[in-house]
Amino acid sequence: MKISGLSKTIHGKHILSDINFSIETGSIIGVTGRNGAGKTTLLRTMTGILDPTKGDVTIDGYSIFKKPQTKEQVIFVPDSSEAFKNYSTKEILTLYKNIYSKFDEEYFYGLMDRFSLPFVKKTGAYSKGMKALFSLIIAFSTGAKYILLDEPTDGLDVIVKKQVLQILVEEVAAKDVSIIISSHRLDELEFMANKIIMIKDGKVDSLYEIEEMKEMYKKVQLVFKEAMPQNLKKEVTILDQTGRVYTVIMDRNDPKLQHMIEETDPLLFEELPLLLEDIFVAKLGGVSNVS
Amino acid sequence: MFHKALWYQNYKQTRMIIWIILALFIIHMPFQSVLSLETWKEREEQANQAEGYVYEVQKWDVLQIFSQGTLPVFLSFSIIALACLLIGLERNTRRNDFTFSLPFSRKDLFLAKWLYGVSAIFFFHIINFFTAFFIIYQSDYSTALYLVSWIEIFWGPLLGFIMFFTFALLIGTFTGEMISQVGLTFLLGFLPQGVFALIQSFTEVHFRYIFSLPDWINYLTPFNYVFNQSGEILSVVLPLIFTGLFLWLSTYLYEKNKIEHNGEFLIFKVLNPVFLTGITISISLAGGMIVSALAPWSADALRIIAYWIGFTTFLLFALLIGRRIVTMNIQFYGKP
Repeated sequence: MKISGLSKTIHGKHILSDINFSIETGSIIGVTGRNGAGKTTLLRTMTGILDPTKGDVTIDGYSIFKKPQTKEQVIFVPDSSEAFKNYSTKEILTLYKNIYSKFDEEYFYGLMDRFSLPFVKKTGAYSKGMKALFSLIIAFSTGAKYILLDEPTDGLDVIVKKQVLQILVEEVAAKDVSIIISSHRLDELEFMANKIIMIKDGKVDSLYEIEEMKEMYKKVQLVFKEAMPQNLKKEVTILDQTGRVYTVIMDRNDPKLQHMIEETDPLLFEELPLLLEDIFVAKLGGVSNVS
Repeated sequence: MFHKALWYQNYKQTRMIIWIILALFIIHMPFQSVLSLETWKEREEQANQAEGYVYEVQKWDVLQIFSQGTLPVFLSFSIIALACLLIGLERNTRRNDFTFSLPFSRKDLFLAKWLYGVSAIFFFHIINFFTAFFIIYQSDYSTALYLVSWIEIFWGPLLGFIMFFTFALLIGTFTGEMISQVGLTFLLGFLPQGVFALIQSFTEVHFRYIFSLPDWINYLTPFNYVFNQSGEILSVVLPLIFTGLFLWLSTYLYEKNKIEHNGEFLIFKVLNPVFLTGITISISLAGGMIVSALAPWSADALRIIAYWIGFTTFLLFALLIGRRIVTMNIQFYGKP
């Protein structure tokens, strides 16, 4: 799946601007960004729900907009299952079987059984957790290669969340599928994603393998005799400051910066474990700048 | 458009209204024909008791069973509801996201909706028509069927309903949600006759001049084909032409749909000024017409003053409504 030059303008506002990346099967990709960054719009455009203002989404070289049949390889799981609340479990099964030619019914029944999901007359009666699991079971049973999930664990309790994450990781390992997850939950993305796409102001701010990302930055704690020198403040991203104690993110591969810090003779200069959340804060806005 | 899944989905989301339409067709034709036969029999018996009086079934009596009366009005409302459940309600809920994410072209999605509705109307009409026709044909009043033409009782209503359904779907392809689809279907469904009535009222109040209603205005009014069967060949040709035209236009618009505007008044923002101007002028003129009707018929100056008071008051209402319309966004998200 290739996303080329994707732009989307809504009400005169540029929601997405020139997005480019490609997705190979067998991977989990996390799409993250601040509220209103354009994550959901990106997923909805990638499935042909929205028409792009510019650019294209192709699968095996075919545009999903010009050849919608290619969308049999893509399935979008929104954060709400409102569309089917009046359908019974069997009716949804019938619907999907008739849409996706590769729908694996046996596999569907297997997962329903494994997660002890009952067959109900109205899926609106499922609890929030059951709905989330059911949506995933349906999505994986379609045989689609690309599964796009919008905030799949939002509002779920810990037990269901574990089950959801478990099924995601297992399915990618077992089948040659790719999962694209839009999420705020950086800890979850860190746990399962291979690649992270950070969206900022409708643009891809960064696209890295998680490990590669961690090799680029380091998180350190610095304590100075007095306040941090002004010239140093410009070179690092301050995550937190308590008195003269600073927690910062800095470029791991910049010997000049390392040398600059050492020259200030800090009382403490210690590396801390780096989390995805730290990079998110550093790249997509300071801690005080909450949207 | 023949994808089984789309037909299944369309049926699931319109199941109730489809059964209502079927029930209305049954009441309209077969049930009404049975009742009418009884009524005619009773009237004949009463006439026989009165000396020198002979009862004959009139053309109007037969038309009531097949193409006129209150039931076509209810049927046309149900057809609007069917079109709204197929398109408008999808926009109010998240169902449109699901539909547009499917591996089908938008043309196929739209044509499946159209063909589904048209098939329902076609089969319900044919089955009920022939049942009612047979009920009368085998009765003592079979000659009554010679009073009417096939255009008046069969082709006119059938093609009229199909054209009207296509029209309601067309409105759904450029309105952003269900309420605007219903509102604009009614407004545009009566538009030519409505505009004529407003202009006529204006000239009548100000110049005491009344136009006669030209035929072409009736021909351009969609609702006219549901309520009024003239029996002319144009009652067949025009609905066919309009159905073709509306179908082509609605398919084109559905393919170009920007569903990020779902929930708003119109999908295509370029149409907003056109519709808002039209609605504002129409509401203002209607205000003038209503208020001037309250003044004494003979007091010319007072009627003109009342007209402009009504016009201005309703213009203010229209401007307020217009402002709300531009900023409206009706979407039901429900429980996640």
